[in-house]
Amino acid sequence: MTVLAGIGFTAPWILLGLLALPVLWLILRAVPPAPIRRLFPAVTLLLGLKDDESVSDRTPWWLLLLRMAAAAAIIIGLAGPVLNPSRDETGTGPLLLVLDASWAGASRWPATLNQIDAQLTDSGRAGRPVAILRLSEPEAPVFQSGEAWRSRLPGLAPMPWQPGEQQVAAAIEAISAIDGGFDTNWFSDALDYDGREAILAELQSRGNVTVYRAPTAVMGLLPSTFEDGAIKLTATRSEPGPAQSVTLLAQGRDPAGTMRILQTATAEFADGATQAEVSLALPSELRARITRFEIQGQRSAGAVSLTDDSLRRREVALIAGRRNREGLELLSPLHYLTHVLVPTADFVDGALLEVLPANPDVIVLADVATLSEKEEADLVEWIEKGGLLLRFAGPRMAASDLGRHEEEVLLPVRLRGGGRTVGGAMSWGEAKGLAPFPENSPFYGLSIPDDVTVSTQVMAQPDPNLADRVIASLSDGTPLVTRKPLGLGQVVLFHVTADAEWSTLPLSGLFVEMLDRLAVASAAKARTEAQLQGTAWAPAQVLDGFGGLSDAGNLAGVDGMELVSGRIGPDLRPGLYQSGKERLALNVLPEKAELQPAVWPADVPVKGQEVNREKPLGGMLLALALVLLTADVVASLALSGRLALARAAMFVMAAILAAPQAHAQDQSDTEFAINASKELVLAHVLTGDRKVDEIARAGLRGLSDTLFYRTSVEPAEPIGVDLERDELAFFPLLYWPITPEQPKPSAEAYARLNTYLRSGGMILFDTRDADIARFGSASPNGRKLRELAAPLDIPPLEPVPRDHVLTRTFYLLQDFPGRYAGAEVWVEAAPADAEQIEGMPFRNLNDGVTPVVIGGNDWAGAWAVDRNGQSLLPVGRGYAGERQRELAHRFGVNLVMHVLTGNYKSDQVHVPALLDRLGQ
Amino acid sequence: MSVAPTLRERSEAEASRLPPLLARAEHLAGTVLLGEHGRRRAGLGDDFWQYRPAQTGDSKRMIDHRRSARGDVQYVREREWQIAQSVMLWVDQGASMRFSSDRNLPTKVDRARLLGLATAILLVRGGERVGLTGTTLPPRRGNEQILRLTQALSQDTDVDYAPPEHRAMIPHARAVFISDFLGDLSEVELALTKAADRGVRGVLLQVLDPSEENFPYRGRTIFESVAGSLRHETLKAGDLRDRYLERLARRKDDLHQLCRATGWQLGLHHTGDSAQAALLWIYRALDGGTR
Repeated sequence: MTVLAGIGFTAPWILLGLLALPVLWLILRAVPPAPIRRLFPAVTLLLGLKDDESVSDRTPWWLLLLRMAAAAAIIIGLAGPVLNPSRDETGTGPLLLVLDASWAGASRWPATLNQIDAQLTDSGRAGRPVAILRLSEPEAPVFQSGEAWRSRLPGLAPMPWQPGEQQVAAAIEAISAIDGGFDTNWFSDALDYDGREAILAELQSRGNVTVYRAPTAVMGLLPSTFEDGAIKLTATRSEPGPAQSVTLLAQGRDPAGTMRILQTATAEFADGATQAEVSLALPSELRARITRFEIQGQRSAGAVSLTDDSLRRREVALIAGRRNREGLELLSPLHYLTHVLVPTADFVDGALLEVLPANPDVIVLADVATLSEKEEADLVEWIEKGGLLLRFAGPRMAASDLGRHEEEVLLPVRLRGGGRTVGGAMSWGEAKGLAPFPENSPFYGLSIPDDVTVSTQVMAQPDPNLADRVIASLSDGTPLVTRKPLGLGQVVLFHVTADAEWSTLPLSGLFVEMLDRLAVASAAKARTEAQLQGTAWAPAQVLDGFGGLSDAGNLAGVDGMELVSGRIGPDLRPGLYQSGKERLALNVLPEKAELQPAVWPADVPVKGQEVNREKPLGGMLLALALVLLTADVVASLALSGRLALARAAMFVMAAILAAPQAHAQDQSDTEFAINASKELVLAHVLTGDRKVDEIARAGLRGLSDTLFYRTSVEPAEPIGVDLERDELAFFPLLYWPITPEQPKPSAEAYARLNTYLRSGGMILFDTRDADIARFGSASPNGRKLRELAAPLDIPPLEPVPRDHVLTRTFYLLQDFPGRYAGAEVWVEAAPADAEQIEGMPFRNLNDGVTPVVIGGNDWAGAWAVDRNGQSLLPVGRGYAGERQRELAHRFGVNLVMHVLTGNYKSDQVHVPALLDRLGQ
Repeated sequence: MSVAPTLRERSEAEASRLPPLLARAEHLAGTVLLGEHGRRRAGLGDDFWQYRPAQTGDSKRMIDHRRSARGDVQYVREREWQIAQSVMLWVDQGASMRFSSDRNLPTKVDRARLLGLATAILLVRGGERVGLTGTTLPPRRGNEQILRLTQALSQDTDVDYAPPEHRAMIPHARAVFISDFLGDLSEVELALTKAADRGVRGVLLQVLDPSEENFPYRGRTIFESVAGSLRHETLKAGDLRDRYLERLARRKDDLHQLCRATGWQLGLHHTGDSAQAALLWIYRALDGGTR
């Protein structure tokens, strides 16, 4: 490669072509631009006129310069100029590239690969054999040409673990097996690990070692913990640096099942600190959805923290003192509790002794005063193993002698007899509000609404240890919620009922938050070694080095102890492990992990990761030549007076390029929605037959006009609806004329139509052939209708009965003619048990509106008017025909009224009876 | 079987050409009110003019007995003087007229035909006899003549710069020549002098395209006549503009002189302008001449 002024040329001899440019100049100067031929009748007047100058109209100098520049750009471009040609080809002999290839380098992996690629290219040019050794997965290095390695480069990926003892030993063995000396370039991930010095010493004994490492610190995310109703996240970095904030993302599936970011939090590294904490208080419903946390922008396994069952839904057993008082749903002591817990917890049903073996996380006893000895013993045992017993007071507890004289094991405090009532009709004082929560309370920080008042409660006996056990109290200092630990678990007592009888607490959002804080709604139970002893766990999903989860395939299962104490490596991959129904997350970084930066001896040169890549300029120059030639075309056209044509072409190009079609589609969707919903709009289905569509539109226009004149329904201009594209929800009524040729809607369109019918829409099918056929499969239109309507969700039909609501929603009608009269009109059949009411001439038919009306009378034809309101199509003959058209309009009015008012009109039946009853 | 469709197509195409031109011409003619055409004096004609008392010298046959029977005075029924004038049209159908410089402008021949036919329609409505110069279509009256004129005017000729047809001109008739007058001026001179010899007076209407008036061309150009018989190459069209305009002005001046000498009237019309203005001018010019 020849280098001129910092730019190398791959084919410098082509530059000699520049010498030909002056010749080109002369040639271009001598040749005038091509003439343009024009028709011009007045040429007779031109004959004999001589040009002033005898020389031809030459190409102007700037155009020549433009063309010269284009020619020069082509010549130089073909000569293959290269910016930053690499010239530092030092060293000879074999080269070993050592990669840490751990998760710590994953977020910078593309940069590392670029650098390796550049080095492989250099070695290939210098003819040095190269081998690559990955310390996280060492294999015996094979020396090959740089080009051979380059093709395998994309297959290299970082591993989600650091080199451990086994890997270090294997690497040292592999290195010592190489014959002869070699130089080493070590791409470090900037994290320290045991055995690194040993490998360095081994490498230094064979040749020069150069270390490449990125200057930025490695970041990791420690496993999330759950404390006091909030998720605590800890980010860590390898080197203490200036203050820095990182964004943590909580990801999970939304209710629709797609992965999305459910919450973000910002963790702030203080100046010089290596750890940053942030706690994330989330609604338990949302919390239960989270599957992983990660640091935004860090694409590595260490920056990912998977979650497992610790955030899952809890199992709660609800047990009330009085059960099954029929019909008093709202008075059930468990009503409010059930509603609070339904979104976040699963219920275990049954009597106390039946639910205890199911080992629920929480047992709620609402106003249960007496427990049998067996029940009490089992309950205590369960609490001592970590259960949470939540008790609510109530009339029974207040009336019993429970905990009166000595402290009950299942109550946090001793109780005074009878309790107290404040703010009632027979008592002094006002209902009490809540005092702010003390700092040692789990409820600390919750805001107390003003409208939470307590009117009745059970009272705690003053005891020496009472103060420690109160976690919420009333404004007069009497305890409201008390708690005491029992073994690994705890007992909590609300001194009020779980329903709204004694206080308004269960009605407020505070109640939800308090239960949340008490970890009734969720929990975090770290598993101990003892719990995992002897269990076997199969990997379900494993992390790769970049932090992506993939299916574990048939990786071997591991022992439960390993999960707690084992070191992450090829045999114990980070990811999700499963045993039965339980899932356990094993993260790359254990709890309380610290990242140690790698420190290199002073005699090892450490380089950054910048790479000065060669930049070929040939393509840019050739592109420049093209641009110049394009400019030349425009300039030449302008000179010869043909620019108008070129301008037109440019407009066309600009129009094609600038057409923002997707945007336009979006816009038109919005416009359609606005047009359809701004006012009431009748709609017809576009059949693809232009004539039918026009008549349908004109018909609906006529019907809209009639409605406007005669009723309080004032529809806007009707709209044609494309079933495939348009939203149907805006229209109360769809008119669907049937043509034998119309295409069948797609499956999605049918799905939308069915949704439309189910949500109260109505379709008026019109086969338009009552002049020649009765409704049925006798005509092509009828057959088409059957085909079209088969996938629709249509109920059983019957001809309109004489007492159908449709016959009297506005006008009293008995037949429904359109352009043709006589054919039967079919609507949804009345249910079998529909009866006539109180001797009234009609039955209380379908409660809802019939979803379809099917007939063949070509109503649109009878309704159709042009813009001036003149009828478009003839109906019948003379006066009788006009009468028929009038009846058709009346049918339309009745139909729209039926759709819009539902069965309101049939309820009007009762008006006389009501008036009679009122004595008027 | 294949002959019939071709024949049908050709006749359809032929037929389709007539009505639009005719319709447009009728439309254009409809914009001119026939307010001043009647002679407004008693004379020979069909229309009633007035009753006047019989005077000595009136023959008995002239007495209108139906009117006279109502009284003692004898009346003579007078008719309006109506005299049919012969007007001869010549519309240049040469190839040079088939030119328009812009897609939005009509060709010169289109405008010339439109004006000619519209004039003819007006004249026929006024009771004149209209025909073409030459022997093809002598002046006649009636709507039938308009159809014949339409047909005759719809035939293109392939010769550049057709010379004015001056044969078989009826003495003391009127004539309308519509052309661009860019061809040989001596032919026009010959026609006009011959017409003047026979006492025929009339109107010359020069129809020009706006580009012929402005010469908006630049650069190296080869100008060709429409049929391709003439061509002129220039290296700098822009430089020719002044001299071209000078020549055009001289051509107009020559035509003006010629008209003055022969008693004709010269009008100028650009295809970019409204046809109605030109029609009004022609009509006025003819009307003024007949009075």
